[in-house]
Amino acid sequence: MIKAEPRTILNFLNTYFDVVRDLFEYQQQDGIITKEVFDMICHKHGAQMKSRLREYRVVRSIGSDFEMRDVYFKLMEFLLFEFKPLLPETIEKYKGAIAELFMKIRKSEHSDRDILQERIKNLSGQVREFVDLVERNAFRLLAETRDLKSNIDRVQYREKVHKASFWIEYYILPLNRILDVNHSESVTSKLVEVCEYANRKRLDYSDETTRSEYEKLYTQLIQTNQDLLKQSKILTNELLPLLERIRTESLILTGFIEFLRNPYKVETPPLLKGTRTMVYAKDMYFKVREFFEQFQIEAPVIVENSEADFDRWIFDRTLFKEKLSASMPVNDFFGWCFKALKKDFDQIETDKFFAVTGLLFDEELQIDYSKKSERVSIETTTSILDVPKLKIEPAIKL
Amino acid sequence: MVYPAHHRQIVEELMSGKFLLNNEEHFNSLKENESFYTEFFKISFDLELIMKPEFSYLLSKDTQENFSRDVSIFIAILSYELDRDGRNFIESFDFNEFTFEEIDNYFLNSSFIDLIESNKTLRDNESRRTLLNGMARRNIIYKTFEDRFTFTQAYKVFVDFAKELALKRIKGEPETQNAE
Repeated sequence: MIKAEPRTILNFLNTYFDVVRDLFEYQQQDGIITKEVFDMICHKHGAQMKSRLREYRVVRSIGSDFEMRDVYFKLMEFLLFEFKPLLPETIEKYKGAIAELFMKIRKSEHSDRDILQERIKNLSGQVREFVDLVERNAFRLLAETRDLKSNIDRVQYREKVHKASFWIEYYILPLNRILDVNHSESVTSKLVEVCEYANRKRLDYSDETTRSEYEKLYTQLIQTNQDLLKQSKILTNELLPLLERIRTESLILTGFIEFLRNPYKVETPPLLKGTRTMVYAKDMYFKVREFFEQFQIEAPVIVENSEADFDRWIFDRTLFKEKLSASMPVNDFFGWCFKALKKDFDQIETDKFFAVTGLLFDEELQIDYSKKSERVSIETTTSILDVPKLKIEPAIKL
Repeated sequence: MVYPAHHRQIVEELMSGKFLLNNEEHFNSLKENESFYTEFFKISFDLELIMKPEFSYLLSKDTQENFSRDVSIFIAILSYELDRDGRNFIESFDFNEFTFEEIDNYFLNSSFIDLIESNKTLRDNESRRTLLNGMARRNIIYKTFEDRFTFTQAYKVFVDFAKELALKRIKGEPETQNAE
């Protein structure tokens, strides 16, 4: 018995939501809240926290440890939308409970009215719990499958194949069997049977209050069957193909990655080996022609004549060197270069002049610089060059 | 003796290592006369005719063939890169058109670059063009334009190979190795 007012408990949950959430997370992860964890969580909120948690029946002792009571655990699951997928075996138990109640309802049709109504209400409660569990499971499975598809955690391909196979084998296929309306042993087919019975009884049962209970059950079952059909469609149309694709795709990628580890050590798919054409074969002529023709396709080459006036003069070093040797000693080297060019050309371009001045670097020449730092001016077509006056003589060979 | 329709085309194409695809007219003739052709190729050339719903091809006993290895590496790397790019690679093989440029980008940025550079049919754009032209000649791809192509259903030979290899490795079975 809880002494506290319901609002007080809700206020407590509101104020200390973080504490309850921490307890929920530990319980969800480990299945139990150890004494150390419990002490650690409650420590900063003072000694009163532990007594409140017990008083409001949020936790109960299991030996020296604790566990969160089911009603709070389910509330937190619902609030945080963190459902753990249940094994379909757990959900299938409702089939037994529903079938049992349905059988008793049919048998006690003409016995005590109160117990009959109570059984109808209980049946309705079982159906509600069943649908709720199926919805939560389908939601969780969808989330898990999408996580696997997006692969944020970078799960290896092999692990992905394993996970996808695991979900299919242990969760989706069994759940699908529970929901398969065409399967005589499925929970859904049992619900359809109950629904048909309730439909008849809501119309022809003698007692009015019982008729009203059947009416409620019938309305609930109509909605339930629609909801279950929706869940079944999610499983068969979305989850199963998605997981199958993840499984197949990952399997293929696993194969490719394994192959790429050492592609020269694995036998690849055998194909027909290309046959070599012998020179005496009938089609040899055509094949050879085809081979050579591929080189005959030449792109047209367009040569455009340059409009610019292009002077093709090339400096003849030997000729100019002979001329220089014949004129030595030369008192003004640059002046000599200019005059030498002037004999051949009316206009002297700067690059022609520089080409001839290159003779200066000949090792067989000795260069004397004017002591008075005399300079001469050379005028080319584009520039006036101010150069030193250099005297050139043959170098004295040692 | 009366030979089935398109007999010469069927024999020439299969003997040149081509995959015959189910959207081709002579494939129907091959399918209708499957038992004849199975026996024909076996007795005449000692070759095995493989018939799948979407394609068919010939197999010889001598399977030392580099082309198959190069195509396997090409498809393996492309599948890996498409998946890394967030694309469903099976759907892409079934429905998408690829450009040479797109393929080059995937291969240039691939983490398998060492393997790519060491393989002379994959190492650069030009070599990959040659490989793709070879694949087009064998009907593994279909060139929609000079620089664009789609995969034909023949790619499934290589995908099935990967699936079988993965199953063998997962089960821990040793697979047969080449005698290289």
